[in-house]
Amino acid sequence: MKLVFLGRFRELAGARLSDVPLPAGVRTLQGLQDWLARTEPDLAVALTGARTQVAINQTLVRDPAYPIGDRDEIAFLPPMSGG
Amino acid sequence: MPNNIVKVRITEQAFDPALELSAFGAGRQDTGALANFVGYCRDMTAGRRVGELTIEQYPGFTEREITRLANQVSRELGTLDLMVVHRVGAIRPGEAIVLVAALAAHRNAAFEAVRLLMDYLKTDAPLWKKESGPDGVRWIEPSAHDHARRDQAKEKSGEKV
Repeated sequence: MKLVFLGRFRELAGARLSDVPLPAGVRTLQGLQDWLARTEPDLAVALTGARTQVAINQTLVRDPAYPIGDRDEIAFLPPMSGG
Repeated sequence: MPNNIVKVRITEQAFDPALELSAFGAGRQDTGALANFVGYCRDMTAGRRVGELTIEQYPGFTEREITRLANQVSRELGTLDLMVVHRVGAIRPGEAIVLVAALAAHRNAAFEAVRLLMDYLKTDAPLWKKESGPDGVRWIEPSAHDHARRDQAKEKSGEKV
């Protein structure tokens, strides 16, 4: 799967997480977040902010039970600030 | 009557707002009002000197989301054409960051559309700003004030964005 970290999340994640095989047992967004909490605890803490949003295949997703597969692109978006 | 156009452009190049506006709405004869707003990069913010502003996008997603917000505003306020030009990448003080322009039959819809779209962009456009200067580097996030403004605007319009 492809993981995309934007803004300050990208600086925390670096390039090491951009293309990773779907971890064993991960089937949902919640599963992915649990996996990140185990393998990347510092990053996972940063991602849990109240205004963090997640896009799966470029669509905003709020449901933690949303299914995730190995061909998906999952993006973590810090609070947005345009204009 | 011509179709209403929502035009969104994300660019890494510096742009000239006057030039962008020169062809906006050309050929229309049903326009009664044009309103526009230009946001610039300042050399000072909250007492800190700004050397450079860097804006990051999520390619594809950013343009689509801004287009969605602009279409929402167009529907809510019944404007004619809307235009958004937004810089990404490295921006120097004095350069334009964003241009929002609206055409409408009457002035109130044009003024309102520009204000509402700017409020939405502040909190809902997938863009991330980093400011760098002699005091270091910091990511900028929308203020509580920005969120309050946006929620107020949303409530007023009675729509979900």
